[in-house]
Amino acid sequence: MITILLGILEEGLVYAIMALGVYITYKILDFPDLSVDSTFPMGAAITAVAIISGMPPVLTLPLAFLAGALAGCATGLIHVKLQVRDLLSGIIVMTGLYSINLRIAGKANLHIFNQETIFDNDFLNRFLPDILRPYQVLLVLIAIILFCKVLLDLYLKTRSGFLLRAVGDNETLVTSLAKDKGRVKILGLAIANGFAALAGCVYCQQKGFFEISMGTGTIVIGLANVIIGTQLFKRLPMVKATSAVIFGSILYKACVSFALSLDRIRIGSVIITFPVIASDLKLITSILFLVILVAGNHQGRRAKGSA
Amino acid sequence: MKKSMTILMTAILTAGLLTGCVTIAQDETASPKNQNQTATEESADTQTKADTQSQEESQNDDAKNNSPSYTIGIGQFAEHGSLDNCREGFLAGLAEEGIEDGKNLTVIFENAQADGGTASQIATNFAAKEVDLICGIATPMAQSAYSVAMKSQIPVIFTAVTDPVAAGLANEDKTAAGEITGTSDKLPVEKQLEMIREILPKAQTIGIMYTTSEVNSESAIAEYKEAAPDFGFTIVETGISSSADIPLAADTLLEKVDCITNLTDNTVVASLPVILDKAGKKNIPVFGSEIEQVRMGCLAAMGLDYIDLGKQTGRMAASILKGEKKASEMNFEVIEEAAFYGNQKAAENLGITFPDSLIANANELFTEIPQ
Repeated sequence: MITILLGILEEGLVYAIMALGVYITYKILDFPDLSVDSTFPMGAAITAVAIISGMPPVLTLPLAFLAGALAGCATGLIHVKLQVRDLLSGIIVMTGLYSINLRIAGKANLHIFNQETIFDNDFLNRFLPDILRPYQVLLVLIAIILFCKVLLDLYLKTRSGFLLRAVGDNETLVTSLAKDKGRVKILGLAIANGFAALAGCVYCQQKGFFEISMGTGTIVIGLANVIIGTQLFKRLPMVKATSAVIFGSILYKACVSFALSLDRIRIGSVIITFPVIASDLKLITSILFLVILVAGNHQGRRAKGSA
Repeated sequence: MKKSMTILMTAILTAGLLTGCVTIAQDETASPKNQNQTATEESADTQTKADTQSQEESQNDDAKNNSPSYTIGIGQFAEHGSLDNCREGFLAGLAEEGIEDGKNLTVIFENAQADGGTASQIATNFAAKEVDLICGIATPMAQSAYSVAMKSQIPVIFTAVTDPVAAGLANEDKTAAGEITGTSDKLPVEKQLEMIREILPKAQTIGIMYTTSEVNSESAIAEYKEAAPDFGFTIVETGISSSADIPLAADTLLEKVDCITNLTDNTVVASLPVILDKAGKKNIPVFGSEIEQVRMGCLAAMGLDYIDLGKQTGRMAASILKGEKKASEMNFEVIEEAAFYGNQKAAENLGITFPDSLIANANELFTEIPQ
């Protein structure tokens, strides 16, 4: 049971980094940014290549973030300067990056099984007490996600962060403040894709390989994480939206994990076998989301009614 | 009303989540024999093999049951005929060695539906259920399983991995990279070219379609390109990125080539009917790379039988489960001999007759094309 929980937390936290980015574009900027589907594997590709060429694993984190931010800028520039619709500019960058990712990695599948990573290196092995050894990956992930979250929270409180939020809510206001809303959007997209690439970087180091198709469906996972998180926790005043997104991400992975283990449930000596086959996985996952969202909605309405 | 519904739904959800975990907890307590076994396997890392075996034997006596039972997790990367055959063959191979599903074997089967994230989660789940062995079918699944198994010490067996060395699943000298071994479905490229030359004496260019995201296909193409000049062929390849690209890519490719040969490329094979249809209209032969493709209507193949490949893998898995060998002591295996498969209906449609020498040695000849 502990291993399952550990697995869910590890998987969930990796995707939570990406979900923070999707939160910026989807929730704050109201910009459906599809480019994350390619910036996620881009982060992984860069990481794999950098680590193979001998770069210290820690340095791959900022490197991947910067590369992702660059790709995000591209999406932003295409949208703002060339006036391509938001959805389409994301698609353009996503499609183009596929080839670029293959160029970066050189081939479709690159492994770093025997290399040092942020999860497995001399420093950690020397200083981490043995009791914490099974939680090594989790601890590193928590450190990374906390760093990202706190940084993002702090940023959203700065002048630039307020402008970012204003652009999503009320573009006219930003223009009337004599600020360039285009520039703010580009910045937002850069940060968001930076997070996506960072998630790819962490994912690659955790799993030990880069695979070109690993990004497929990233945006779907990201959106699900953000919506589940914000829906469920929106009525709790103590929980910041960024934390909600992280919890949402863990919950998403818990759903998938539950769907995976649904075929046989044993209560006492009774084994309940569901007529579920392996290919039903996605249907079960989607039903679970529906249940969560509906539950979240009811929660919301009740609170409104009593207010 | 709403309140109660909400409470009910959350209750169902949490109960569900908990039972998901509880199952495992009870699995452990309900069958002490299994637990002992895992314990034995854990200790196997530190102790010698002989020790483990004697322990296992004594345990079996304790349990008053001479055949221990095993739990294995099979993770398959995508839904697709060849990979399904691998799985079937794998179970058949285990059964040959006396480890049968339902009797002394519990199989947890999951399919990642071509999603890398799901693949890794499947592997994590297998580790959490403390299976005795993980079988990874196709490269990404095998890599996910390996990355999990490195931490949990569960042996991994892979199959349908074309190039285990490039995938990091084996060392350069073909020895195991860790507690992992298996079988490779490397194509018998030269034999395939030889066969094409025999059937089509005048052909000059061979078209190959492949998915740029499949590392297996890339290494196969490289091999084709190297071997083709020896048989007087030039290779024309077209890369696609998803199955949506196939119709257009097929049209372009068919303009340039005398025949097409397939790899074991998952995306291309899944869309094979489209290619066969387009090639049929232009009267261009399409060669397959294994039995399933010929069954579906490819002209012929010098290829692998994935069921055989699976069986070979199953036998290897059996000796790991029984503790006869450790995965790290076994080199990965390749099926050496290629067999001829032909589809006479396809040949008839194209106005081609197979040379007698091939017919005589054919492993299987199909006489119809399923619609």
